[in-house]
Amino acid sequence: MMFIRRIALAICLALSLSVPAMAQERSATRQGFELAPGEGKKILVFRPAVSVGGQSTAGMFEPNGEWTEAARRNIEASLARLQAQLGNQVIAAPEAYGEDAQNLQEHLALFAAVSQAVIEYQFFVGNRLPTKKKDNKEDVFDWSLGSGVADLPGAKDADYGLFIWNRDAYGSTGRKVLQVLALLGPGVAVKSGEHRGYAGLVDLKTGDLLWLNADGAMGGDVRKEDGSDKRVRQLLEDFPGSSIAAEEPAA
Amino acid sequence: MRPWLGGVLGALAIAQPLSAEESPLPPPYEGVYQPQGVDEIGFWREDDESERALAASPLVIRDAALNSYVKGVLCDTVGPDRCNAVRVYILREPTFNASMSPNGTMRVFSGLFLRVRSEAELGAVLGHEFGHFERRHSLAGFRRARSGTDLLAWTSLLVSMAPSYGAASSQRSLEMAVYGQIFRHGRDQEREADRLGVSYLNQGRLRPQAASEVWKTVMTEAESSARSRGLKKPNFKAIAFFASHPPEAERADNLAALAVPDGAARDDGALRYREALAPFMPQFLDDQIKLNDFGASDFLIENMAESGGWSAPLWFSRGELYRLRGAQRDFVNAADFYARAIALDPSLAEAHRGLGLALFKTGRREEGMTALKEYLNLKPDASDAKMIALMLPQDTGS
Repeated sequence: MMFIRRIALAICLALSLSVPAMAQERSATRQGFELAPGEGKKILVFRPAVSVGGQSTAGMFEPNGEWTEAARRNIEASLARLQAQLGNQVIAAPEAYGEDAQNLQEHLALFAAVSQAVIEYQFFVGNRLPTKKKDNKEDVFDWSLGSGVADLPGAKDADYGLFIWNRDAYGSTGRKVLQVLALLGPGVAVKSGEHRGYAGLVDLKTGDLLWLNADGAMGGDVRKEDGSDKRVRQLLEDFPGSSIAAEEPAA
Repeated sequence: MRPWLGGVLGALAIAQPLSAEESPLPPPYEGVYQPQGVDEIGFWREDDESERALAASPLVIRDAALNSYVKGVLCDTVGPDRCNAVRVYILREPTFNASMSPNGTMRVFSGLFLRVRSEAELGAVLGHEFGHFERRHSLAGFRRARSGTDLLAWTSLLVSMAPSYGAASSQRSLEMAVYGQIFRHGRDQEREADRLGVSYLNQGRLRPQAASEVWKTVMTEAESSARSRGLKKPNFKAIAFFASHPPEAERADNLAALAVPDGAARDDGALRYREALAPFMPQFLDDQIKLNDFGASDFLIENMAESGGWSAPLWFSRGELYRLRGAQRDFVNAADFYARAIALDPSLAEAHRGLGLALFKTGRREEGMTALKEYLNLKPDASDAKMIALMLPQDTGS
């Protein structure tokens, strides 16, 4: 039973103190990569991985189908609304079949693994791999998925591929009450809710990772339209060549 | 006195049929099911997403014949209406497992095929998994775990507000009680799935006694593995506190008791099973051997030979197993096993390769070279052809 294995984790979450946010970088761009607006480049967006649910009082993830569906719709709509501001043409990846689908699946998993490695061994400065700080210079960002990406469905008609991953757990009422009481009572900080997301841009010819933005604490309620706009803004905040600001311009 | 005694006897009388419940039949089929409530809909949604990834996974064995055969055995076990609710995915993963998730995705690990010897045994395992699905055990397990851990979150808050030795100690007792409940709930679900699995077999055409035999094989394998590593043999009757499943001996006994007695005469489809799996066995055996568990692999090979006779691939696998363990004494045995494989099937190129390498190691170079030459003759474009050629004398003149 897979749920049994989660219990230990849930307990840990329930009882652990929330660690103060460490000095950690959130995004990086490959050296020498520039994407000027209006270059007419095509960006292929792969199906965003979205998972939204609740968080039980003890911290277990409670998947919620309705919220996830709403979030997927909202995020895709926000992307469409904001794409003009990316300065380039955004196209959705076609549905893949057969061997194409297998190839795509492997690359989605590869992207997830590489992103995790970037977050762990590049963005977390104290943990940075020696190869990622050449001659102790800090601005090295050299990661790749390999040239196999050129064979992905839809890659022939585009220059760059955009991957998006999102996971949200909204604290249940019980969790929020626990949070307040734990703070008022013994003074223990309990974290309610979890909002993580990352987005990455890959060169579809070489497979090089050009830009990655990863955040363990994102804003914006993806279950609602304006919240999802805020989330997508945050994800694409320092997208090379984009004119998107993290906050909606006061107009 | 008498009413009290009567009460006890009455309780015994009620308890008796419960513990030795005989030959159950499955509950009526409820038809196509759609998830209900926030939790279940959420789980199905996550599960749909994970099935989407699974369907495109490189681990899935997509051979049409094997897939339709396994699906056929499932349908023979649970009946045609139930089996329509299931998508079967066979994964290349050499461990003994199968699972079924809430939305009707069944994952069957290739290691299972080495450990069951007939359609009836395969059906017993698949039926057990279907039982979890039919009873929606994942959801119940999740709810049990959530309410248990929620309780602990509140009590740990209370304890931290009143820190005293007594409070901390009762919190620890409560934690143990809650974890114990959660794991026991899981084991009870396994028992229910076992009962359902046999009930499907009881009403089908396959021999229901096979369900108990699967567990006997598993126990013998574990014993064999422990023996070859010099460990104490495992205790199959003890329930560990954190065990996710009931002990194997209990399962074997219960399953034997639940099978309808007149089902013992039914066909168990061992011959059909061996024929359908024959093309895949060399691959599955190779995966198993690479797990580096000599005792278990040796047992599985002998177990298969016992039910289906020694075939060339089985002798070859045994040779590989011994050669890869690689003690000097193993090479003598390995050469013998390869020779037996070649005697049964002279066209088995890899057996010539293994024979040659094993003979080299035992100092019989000339015979070894003959075998390696035969390997290159049979498979000139093998991936290791160049490396093997280095072990042969170079042609004079070139």
